[in-house]
This record gives sequence, structure tokens and C-alpha cells, in this order.
Amino acid sequence: MFSKLAVKNVVRSVRDYSVYFITLLFGVCVFYVFNSMESQTVMGYLGGGTSPYVQTILMLIDVISVFVSVVLAFLILYANTFMIRRRKRELGTYLLLGMERGKVSILLFLETLCIGLLALAAGLLLGVFLSQFISVFTAGLFSIHMTEWHFVFSPKAVGKTCLYFGVIFVLVMMFNSLSVSRCRLLDLMQAERSNQDLKLKSVGASVVMFLVGVALLIIAYAMLLQRGLFRVDGLFWLMLGLGSLGTLLFFRSLSGFLLRVCQRNKKLYYRGLNMFILRQFNSKINTTYVSMTVICLMLLLAIGITATSLGLNNTVEGLSSGKSPYDVSVYFWPSEGGAPAELEQWLAAGGFDPEEELEERMVYETAQVEFEPVRYELGGREVPLSSLSALSLSDCNALLALQGLPPLELGEDEYGLLWGTYEADYSLVKALWEDQPTLSVAGTTLTPQPGAETSAIIRTGTSRYESMLILPDQFLEGRPADSVVLVGNYPAGADVQAADARLEEAMHSLVPRDYESGDGGYGYGWDTRLGVYMDTMGSKILVLFIGIYLGIIFLLTSAAVLALQQLSQAADNAGRYRILARLGVEESMRDRSIYVQIFLYFFLPLALAVVHSIVGMTAANAAIAEVGHVDSVSSSVATAAFILVVYGAYFLATCAGSRRIVRGR
Amino acid sequence: MDAILTVEHLQKYYGSRGSVTRAIDDVNLRVEPGEFVGIMGASGSGKTTLLNCISTIDAPTSGRIFVEGRDITTLKSRELSRFRRERLGFVFQDCNLLDTLTAFENIALALTILKTPAGEIEGRVQKTAGLLGIADCLNKYPYQLSGGQRQRTAAARAIITDPALVLADEPTGALDSKSARLLLERFEALNEARGTTILMVTHDAFTASYCRRILFLRDGKSFTELVRGNDSRKAFFGKIIEVVTLLGGACDDVL
Repeated sequence: MFSKLAVKNVVRSVRDYSVYFITLLFGVCVFYVFNSMESQTVMGYLGGGTSPYVQTILMLIDVISVFVSVVLAFLILYANTFMIRRRKRELGTYLLLGMERGKVSILLFLETLCIGLLALAAGLLLGVFLSQFISVFTAGLFSIHMTEWHFVFSPKAVGKTCLYFGVIFVLVMMFNSLSVSRCRLLDLMQAERSNQDLKLKSVGASVVMFLVGVALLIIAYAMLLQRGLFRVDGLFWLMLGLGSLGTLLFFRSLSGFLLRVCQRNKKLYYRGLNMFILRQFNSKINTTYVSMTVICLMLLLAIGITATSLGLNNTVEGLSSGKSPYDVSVYFWPSEGGAPAELEQWLAAGGFDPEEELEERMVYETAQVEFEPVRYELGGREVPLSSLSALSLSDCNALLALQGLPPLELGEDEYGLLWGTYEADYSLVKALWEDQPTLSVAGTTLTPQPGAETSAIIRTGTSRYESMLILPDQFLEGRPADSVVLVGNYPAGADVQAADARLEEAMHSLVPRDYESGDGGYGYGWDTRLGVYMDTMGSKILVLFIGIYLGIIFLLTSAAVLALQQLSQAADNAGRYRILARLGVEESMRDRSIYVQIFLYFFLPLALAVVHSIVGMTAANAAIAEVGHVDSVSSSVATAAFILVVYGAYFLATCAGSRRIVRGR
Repeated sequence: MDAILTVEHLQKYYGSRGSVTRAIDDVNLRVEPGEFVGIMGASGSGKTTLLNCISTIDAPTSGRIFVEGRDITTLKSRELSRFRRERLGFVFQDCNLLDTLTAFENIALALTILKTPAGEIEGRVQKTAGLLGIADCLNKYPYQLSGGQRQRTAAARAIITDPALVLADEPTGALDSKSARLLLERFEALNEARGTTILMVTHDAFTASYCRRILFLRDGKSFTELVRGNDSRKAFFGKIIEVVTLLGGACDDVL
């Protein structure tokens, strides 16, 4: 009998408190999906659990999951409080009928257990289902070719989800027993009659407040656009403060302002239930403006994080493809006066024979050339420039040919320019290339050849190199090399991972013991296309997953809080709608009024958050444009779609729930 | 002249087989235009059920109710809403004003849901408020008004649409005697000056004495009927008390 009552209550709860259930469901689902990351196809491709990228990602997800579970715990407790408050009368009846407090506590305990198990099961099911999609989606995002589709399932994540949510449910149970044992029967029975205090403030003041709020927002926007997003100083905090205060004032006064504006327009004000809707909205604003502000800022975070991480992801992708023109590059920096490097032999001795391993390859050297100083202004001072690295024309053309690019043409006494990836020298070299002076190298005067300029990348790797002069071959003969580089490509169909492993092995003991290093030290390094790719992909996944994870959680939280607030307001409004029904207002008109009110509460914070984030993204773009460009269109579309789904689900559930409450079931 | 309201053989049963409660058992009633009719009875006598059936909030088990010759028991839900807002006016015991709207807006609401042109609204609200003596407190919210003012605001909302019939359910139930008298005098004046037809349910003899005709209910059946005729209100009150005494111990809440 006892458990039958509990089960009956649960069935009713799922129907009546769908928002509570949806929140639990989404929470479990999101939590599982992100904690099951390690079993995703992408992770396997990154090298599985042993790869440092995967370990970093998993560790960060672990840490953030703790934070997320705290947020979810508060949310679920809040939702639970709302549910208990709505059921006070029912609980009072149990007590009145002589059921002991302990028994009522156990009843609630059983109910929470049932709902928890139900939500856990449903959420895990949804999560497992969703992670299949995410698996395909991310594989596509990282241009991994999936040869076969396989089912993604992580028992470890299931265990973790159960553990975390188990703890949360235990907290909820404890909280429920506490609230049952503390409350007085009289309060429970009269809960529905508890009067809500109506504070109706002057409408005139809100017009002034609205204007001040908008002015503050405009000032904050102007500061943001002017200063950019990433200058964190005193003014930055002032800007944040102004923005938040502006948002607060905006919501505090918006309803009054709308009311005043609509009252001016009699036709609009005296049409159907408009008057009622506006007054209704205005009467609640005192209790809701703070939460609307918080929700607006939370939404802003969600939108910002999601859009930026999606956008940054595209940026990183754009950067990485240009970075690795060759499958392999090995570099050696000899010391001054040392013996010439014999990279190929050394590698062959270490077990990686370039001749066998690489289908196309070449070794090039760069050397430092001195010339009569030319002077250019840099940071308000004249700075002399008297030497640059140089690359011979034939080496340069061979490198270009490997990438399938057309060769450069250079006369006997001419020089060209190869742009480096090291921006620090840009301004000086830029000044040189704009000025196009003649250079006197080893007694010969060289004239610039404006056509001989390239910004092709000449080695694979994330480390940078300086801009170089391109000189006819004879100028470099006999000069000591300041770097020797081997670049090459594997034959088609080669086992790249195994070959990379052999190269790594060979690199461990690259330089033979009898190498004469001269006076100074030497250095060497290597990079492979796969390695660079893994590197960027690792950070991509990191940014993307963490961003979306947090974005979803913030969104979920704000939507759930809004929904719960609206539902508890619907309970207060039930009486008012009864009066309207008696006055002969049709059901469709009453429903419309409910929907409009809920829509206002959902839409207004979202609208302002969107405006905030558009301004914020514009400012962020200006800063990020230096590194790359955040692809704002596609990421905004993805963000919008995602927000619509989660927010929309809550909106619809709230509408249905409110309608049911108002109609009195 | 056709009757405004005709109730024929109205029955309303609650409960299922085995235990049937006859809240209303074969009640007949006819109200002519311009009448001020009271319905009296102890609690449980079926007077509120009768009113609910007439006001289309509740559906009768059998019998017919005609308002202006139209059978309202056969109307569909949409038509019922329409009928309520166009032909009926309500005044309830707990006045049922919307607490978020000012008195003015509460009265105007009855017009806006009828899609009255915005230009007409202010004039009509002012005029009706003048009739009920609340013209000077129109900009106040219900919680700033006294109980009597609230009830008169509700009355203004009920009559502003010129309904065929005003239904009042214990309108003085929550008022002190002075406010009650003020309200009833207004009802009387509306009835005489504008010819508003009023049907009022009450268990209070003093309130009932303002009516022109009173129908007494007992256990769901009509018990007797009193017509004021040319009696003074005081004499009529005396007769009412007599009937109430006749009704017996069931009316222990009277006096």
C-alpha cells in the first residue's frame, strides 16, 4: 500500500512536474556524454588513454565535472524545493490523517528514489544514444574518416554518473526529510492561502530607470568595442560592473516602461487581454528582475562560451593546415666552426633511412649573410639592419616544387624574400621590402627583384623561423650553415604512425659521439605532419568539448530556473485566470495570455543576452583577428540551433505545465 | 413581454448510483425584464448550485434554462464563454477583482474582452463608476480600496456591458452593514433607473429585503415565493423573517 502510494505519486510527478524531470534527465544525459569522452572514436584516433592530449582532456573534464555536479546539485535542490512547496497541502493531508512524520519522510524518500532511478535510467539511455551522434559529429569535425561505425559505450562513465547523481539524490532525500520534520501542520494546510505581497511601484520612476539602464549599457558597449575584450585592468572591471548594473536596471524597469508606453497607445492597451498581461508582467517584476538579470548573464556566458569555442575550433583548424607542408622535417643547428652535419647518414644509422622511408626528400641549408647596414625606424628609433638568414635560389625552388608551387625567378645580381613565420621581425623586414634598397653582399651590389617573394612554409612544425633573403646560389657557397633541414614525404600508403615511431627512435641518438661540435653547442629537433596535426587537434577538442560542456550546463541551469519560477507563478495566477474564465474569456484567449507571459520571461533575457554577445563577439573578434578569425557565422548558427533546442524544450514544458496548473488540471 | 430567464424542471444530481444527492430537484423559475429577484435558503439548499447552473459554470443534469429565449444548456464551450461575457454580469461574495489591475482597468476589462473600440472605453467606465459612486477611486488598486468599494467596483464591472441579467452570489457576505446597505441601495437604484435585471442569491434576510420578489429553496426544491408588492422594506423584511422561521431549524444561521 505504502509503495503503491509512492509509485502513484511518482507517475503523477512525472506528468505534473515535467520540468523537474526534464532537468534531471538533461543533467544525467549531459553528464554521461561528457564523461564518456574517453571511449569516443576521436580519442582512439588521438592515441587512446595513453596519449598526453587525451589525458589532459579527460583530466580537465574530470575537474569540470565536479564543478558541474555542484551546479546541478543546487539546481536539483531548487527544483525539489519548488515541488515540495507545491505539494505542501498534500503532505499536510497525510499528516492530518495521522501518518507519522517518519512515514511521510519515507514516502518522500521512496518517491525520490523512484524518480531518481527513472531519471537516471532515462538520462543514461538518452546519453548513450546521443554519444553515438556526437561520435559521428566529432569524427566529421576532425576530418577523421570512419571506416566502420561502432557502438560507443563507456561503463566507467555510467558508474561515475550513477555515483555523482546518487550523492545528489541522497542530498535531496535528506533535504526532504528535514523539511517534513521541521514544518508545522498549520503552515502546510494553509500553504495555498499564504498571501503574496503585492508591491506596485510607481510607473513613472521606471521610465527614468529604464533610460539610465540603457545609457549604462551603451557606455559599457562603447568601452568594450573601443578597448577590446582582453585588456584586463581597472577599467575592464568598471565596464563589467556598468554592463551588469545596466542589465539589472533594464530588467527592473522594463515592465514599467512597456506598461507606460502601451498605456499611451489606447488601441493597443485596451485590446483583448493586453492590459491584463502587461499588469501581470509588471506586478511580478519585483520578485523576478534579479533572477532575470542573473539568467541573462548566464545565458550570455553560455552563448559566449559555445560560440567562441566553436569558432576558435575553426580558427585552429585553419592554422594547422598551413603549418605542415611536408610529412617530416628534421632540423639541426650546428655550432659555429663545427663539422658539417650529415643528417641523412645519421638518421640511417639510427634506423630511419631517409632513402628508403621517404619518397621525396631534400636537405637544405640556410646561412647568415652580412651586408652594409640599412636603417629603418622601429618604435620611434632608427634601427640598423645588417644581416639576415639566407636561402639559395635552387634550394628555395626545390622546396616550392615539393609543394607543387611555381619556382621563383632571380637574376644574377638580384635578391628575393621568403617571409618567415616569426612575426617579431616582420616590421623591420617589411620596411626593408617596401623600401627595396640595394644590398651590398660580399662586395657585390644586389638589387631587389619584387617578383621573387614567397610566403610558402618551408618546414613542418609549430616552431617559428625568421624571414630570409633568397640569393643566387654562388653567394651561399662556402658559408657556414646556421641550420640544416631535411624535409620529405612518405610514399603513398605508408604506415605513417610506424614510420614516425622509427623516426622518433632515430632522433633519440641522432648526433654521433665523434661529431666535432666546435666551440659552442648545437641543437636539433624534428616535427611530423601527424604530430602537428595531433597537437592542434588535441587543443581543438579541448577547447570545443570544455566550451560546449560548460555552455550546455549554464544554459540548462538558466532555462530550468526560469521554468520553475514561471510554474510557481502559474500557481499564483490560477485564481486570476478563474476570474477571467467567469467573466467569459475564452480558453484560447486565456492560454494565449499564459503563453505571452511565459514568452516574455523566456525571450527578454535571451534577447538581451544575444545583444550582449554580439557586441562581445565583435570585440573578441577584433582581438582574435590577430591570430586568426573566429568564424562567427557558422558558429553562431550552431549555437543558435543548440540554444533553441534546449531553451525551446523548457519553454514548451513550461507552457504545458502552466496551462495545466492554471486550468486546475 | 418575453421573460429574460426561464428555468424549467431543472435538476442537478451529484454522486453516482447508490448515493445520489439531489442538489436541485425540479425547480422552476421565471424572471421578467427589469425584475430584482432574490433566492434564499439555508446552506445546502441548492441556491448556489442553481446560480452556477444559470451562470453556465455548472451543467444541469436535466431540465432547461432559457435566457432571452435561448436554451443555454445546449451551448458548446466556446459559445458559453461568449454568452457569459455578452449577456451576463457577475458579482461574487469575494468580489473577484484582479489584484494586479486598478479599479478602472478591472471595469474596463469587461469591455476589452468584448472587443469594444478603445475610444469608447474611458467614457463608459467613468459613467458606470459615477452610477456606483466610485468615480474618485478609479486609479487605486483593489488592495487600496475598502471592501464596499471593491464590491461596487465588481458591480460596475458586471453592469458595464449592459448584460441581460446580473447574477449576484452573496454580494454582501463579506461586507459590514454600512457598506452592505450602500451596495444594496445602488443595486436598487440600478434596477429602478436602468431597468437592470438582477438575480441575487443570499441567506441574509436584510439583504433579501431589497429585492422585489424572493424565491425560497429548501433541500433543492422551491419552498415558497414572496412578492414585495407595495410593502415598505421594513414590512417585507418582517415577512421574510416569518418564512425563514417557517423553513425551520435548518436555517439556524439566520439572525
